[in-house]
Amino acid sequence: MSVLTRTQRPELSQDRAASPRPPINWGRVVAWTSLVVLLIVTLFPFYWMLRTSLSNNRSLASEAGSLLPADFTLGAFQRVLGMASTEEALAEGGSGANVNFWLYLRNSIIVATVVTVGQLFFCAMAAYAFARLRWPGRNKVFFLFLTALMVPPIFTTLPNFILIRDLGLLNTFAGIVLPTLFMTPFAVFFLRQFFLGLSREIEEAAMIDGAGHLRIFFRLTIPMASAPIATLAILTYINAWNDYMWPLLVGQEENVRVLTVALGVFRSQTPQGSPDWAGLMAATLIAALPIMILFAVLGRRVINSIGFSGIK
Amino acid sequence: MSSQVSAQSAIKTGARRSRRLGDLWVALAFLLPSAVGFVVFYLWPTIRGFYLSLTDYSLLGDAQFLGFDNFQRLFNDPLFWNSLRVTLLYVVINIGLQTVVALALAVLLHRLTQSVTIRGLVLLPYLVANVVVALVWFWMLDYQLGIVNQLIDWIGLGRIPFFGSETWAIPTIAMINVWRHMGYTALLIFAGLQMIPKYVYEASALDGASEWRTFWRVTLPLLRPIMALVLVLSVIGSFQIFDTIAVTTAGGPVDSTRVIYFYIFELAFERFDFGYAAAISVVLFLILGGVAMAQLKMLRAGDSDLS
Amino acid sequence: MRKALRRSTGMIAIPVLLAACGGDDGGSGGDGDSAAGGTITYWLWDANQLPAYEACADAFHEANPDVRVNIEQFGWDDYWNKITTGFVGGTAPDVFTDHLSRYPQFAGQNQLLAIDEFVERDGLDLSIYHEGLADLWISQEGERYGLPKDWDTVAVFYNEELLDDAGLTPEDMADLDWNPDDGGSYEEVIARLTVDANGVRGDEPGFDPDNVEVYGLGLNGAGEGFGQTEWSMYAFSNGWTHTDENPWGSQFNYDDPAFVEMVDWWRGLIEKGYMPSFEQATAGVSMMESYGAGTYAMVTEGSWNTGAYMGLSDVQTGLAPTPVGPSGERTSMFNGLADSIWAGTDNPEGAWAWVSFLASAECQNIVAEHAVVFPAIQESTELAQTAFEESGVDVSSFTVHVEEGTTYLAPITDNWAEVTAIMGSTMDSIMSFSSDTDALTGANAEVNALFE
Repeated sequence: MSVLTRTQRPELSQDRAASPRPPINWGRVVAWTSLVVLLIVTLFPFYWMLRTSLSNNRSLASEAGSLLPADFTLGAFQRVLGMASTEEALAEGGSGANVNFWLYLRNSIIVATVVTVGQLFFCAMAAYAFARLRWPGRNKVFFLFLTALMVPPIFTTLPNFILIRDLGLLNTFAGIVLPTLFMTPFAVFFLRQFFLGLSREIEEAAMIDGAGHLRIFFRLTIPMASAPIATLAILTYINAWNDYMWPLLVGQEENVRVLTVALGVFRSQTPQGSPDWAGLMAATLIAALPIMILFAVLGRRVINSIGFSGIK
Repeated sequence: MSSQVSAQSAIKTGARRSRRLGDLWVALAFLLPSAVGFVVFYLWPTIRGFYLSLTDYSLLGDAQFLGFDNFQRLFNDPLFWNSLRVTLLYVVINIGLQTVVALALAVLLHRLTQSVTIRGLVLLPYLVANVVVALVWFWMLDYQLGIVNQLIDWIGLGRIPFFGSETWAIPTIAMINVWRHMGYTALLIFAGLQMIPKYVYEASALDGASEWRTFWRVTLPLLRPIMALVLVLSVIGSFQIFDTIAVTTAGGPVDSTRVIYFYIFELAFERFDFGYAAAISVVLFLILGGVAMAQLKMLRAGDSDLS
Repeated sequence: MRKALRRSTGMIAIPVLLAACGGDDGGSGGDGDSAAGGTITYWLWDANQLPAYEACADAFHEANPDVRVNIEQFGWDDYWNKITTGFVGGTAPDVFTDHLSRYPQFAGQNQLLAIDEFVERDGLDLSIYHEGLADLWISQEGERYGLPKDWDTVAVFYNEELLDDAGLTPEDMADLDWNPDDGGSYEEVIARLTVDANGVRGDEPGFDPDNVEVYGLGLNGAGEGFGQTEWSMYAFSNGWTHTDENPWGSQFNYDDPAFVEMVDWWRGLIEKGYMPSFEQATAGVSMMESYGAGTYAMVTEGSWNTGAYMGLSDVQTGLAPTPVGPSGERTSMFNGLADSIWAGTDNPEGAWAWVSFLASAECQNIVAEHAVVFPAIQESTELAQTAFEESGVDVSSFTVHVEEGTTYLAPITDNWAEVTAIMGSTMDSIMSFSSDTDALTGANAEVNALFE
């Protein structure tokens, strides 16, 4: 709260500086209007998802202009969650397909969590080696790592796919997480930049006390870098959660299928020629819900952590 | 700097060999996991991709070595040049629009409200997967049933075939991705704004400068390094536009959205022409290499600006 | 996953086996070959057909208790991507619905299992199918890659209410003629059905082609090089075919004057305001939705979509046969699907058992009763016709082509993916008036160069 009061002060003083009580500050009105318009643009698609998902797919075409659900029904959610028979689904313009929500939710959580934890930990270790240790060829190796930033993912996707196949890891969690588990060039780069910015004095003091690098890394560097690591963790988690192409290639089967892939499958299962928009939007909302809930829970921390606290 | 080195080597046992190698063994241990990931999932597939670009490879049979035939073909392939042109067009519109909107949003948020809730709302689109975002907008921008065209109709303007017209398709797709990323980009810029000391604004206000003037004379110049960073970070991602197009136009109408990434995908997975697809990927690799180099340069420039 | 499943079914099989030993031999696995156990994965793309094939799978499982069929459905666009990545990754389904335009390439890449030996061994009678359907699946090398499951033709679907408003009757629709010069009575009907924003019809003075409320004819796309429901019925009736011979032609005819004049007429409908512009047509979610919203008075569509159109809640749909063209006959593309076995299946016997069941009268009769498609077996087709009639749909507009022998086979050639890529953008740019129909000359040369 102290942050709030402190940061509000400049605005107050500025208002006072302009004039004691201006009748209408037109600049402010325009500014607020623009902000509200931008907010509406941001939020309206979410309302439209909800509105469509609560409509009867068969009636969407005739009530295209209505801002309320067309022929209100929960049918879309029911068929997405498999609570409607194939016949019922077809009658409302859907298909017999459904989303095995809890299973795919579990899978998405497993994949996103393992990738986030693994990637951050291993990248932090690498970043420490690049930022704090001195060894011959360090800059050359770092540069090599950085070149990976330029490799278009589609370039590596197919060879990686063949590799995962040859390792017999298709349709396993290992196959889905392995390529991003150990490193991404961005994470290494990001963390190295931050570690470089940390003060060396505490570390050197610890070293004089006889602490090894392992101890310094765990006891000093990681705690001091917890803020940017949290930022990176959230970004990594969102990206892992939303990843589509790779899990689509290697994780088709039910037991490892993640939510985005399930949504893609559901989309492709809707009747040819006339998509089940209501069902699709219901599935979309359901797929996006977990990350929104996570977001709502972490709320303030997430928003405040996004920024340049990590990068100089 | 030199005093640090001597201090550290003093802590060490002081053996000559150890001084030359530094922390090599510790570094190796720290690097091992990510090095494995790098070699297996980045380096090796890249080398393999380069090799495949010199072959005729249908994915199902064995690769036949061709030499530089694929690159010769690429040079004479109008679809390749078209894809390059379309991609650039997309990047320019996407990045341009996104930067302007995000900057405006960030400044508005910064000057008008401290509400974390509002900042949270702005971030919402970023939490939704690309594929989902594309689907929602495809539905909303439909020519006849989409709510946006209904609105345009109510206002009394002519409906717009957003995905069906060669002129509208790329701007439409660029706009969709602006929608997804503007909140996130705005928050990055917002963080940059918060780093500008408050007294700068107070001083400017005391001088009687208008908000508008303050923005152009004070805020923007101070924000420059941050903006540079935000720009280069988004450009590389922008070049790799794929999901949105795969879900909506699939390259059409008449190749107007057949961006380089989509063209590669199509050649590799639909036409089994993986060798040629790999050759185009090599070109994309070189382009992104150039962009990344520029990025590193600008970051360094940003560093010196801040200090 | 697949292996794990088989292991578990194996464990279930043991007690069954013991029970069979203990009692008298009323064992379940008596008939059929015991090698064909396990789970068969089967893919298809049409959601509307899913219930029918689920019923087939149940019947199959009853007859072969040790084989289980796991059906998965993916829409057309994703279907082929998933199949090809499945080939590469070794995760393709054991059995899948195959398309005439796709199988030559798959066969050429050794991804399909030739079934000649199975057919011979089981002594299958291939004469039960509609003439020619079974032989479509014999490759250039003389190997058979599928057993026919259904066939389809094209007809005109029209909005009965809008037809009535225009003062036309279903009888008017039943006997239309077409030519590339003035469009014949077919174009007259289209013009009559078109209404502009002021309520002026397309054939009345003062019609505003730039401000049309209801288009006489809908547009689904430019049809690539295939044109099945888009333009093939006009082209065939103008004496044109895709290739010099079919199957296995190697010279395409996209630069033939008979084709060029047809395309000129077809896209002329856009200029006249009788058909939506290509931009509008492809900017929308689908032709069916626009039709369902009453924006299109009639469309040309395939028989497989009959059920979907009849299910539209706000529109009553009638069917009419395609118009008679300059050749003196009404024509339709005749396309047939088949079930193919993936060469990489780990259970060829089980896969074959399922394929031959799908191609049997037992399964095709089940499909017929669902009234979604026309099965490949002649007697099952009749059943389907009755089933359609019972649900109030007169499908004679589709079957007339088979009865009168005015069907033209879908082109079967190599290099179809490349042909599609070339013709796709050429036809798109012609229909959007970005290029003229003379672009067909260059495109055709490019296509033919693929076969040199």
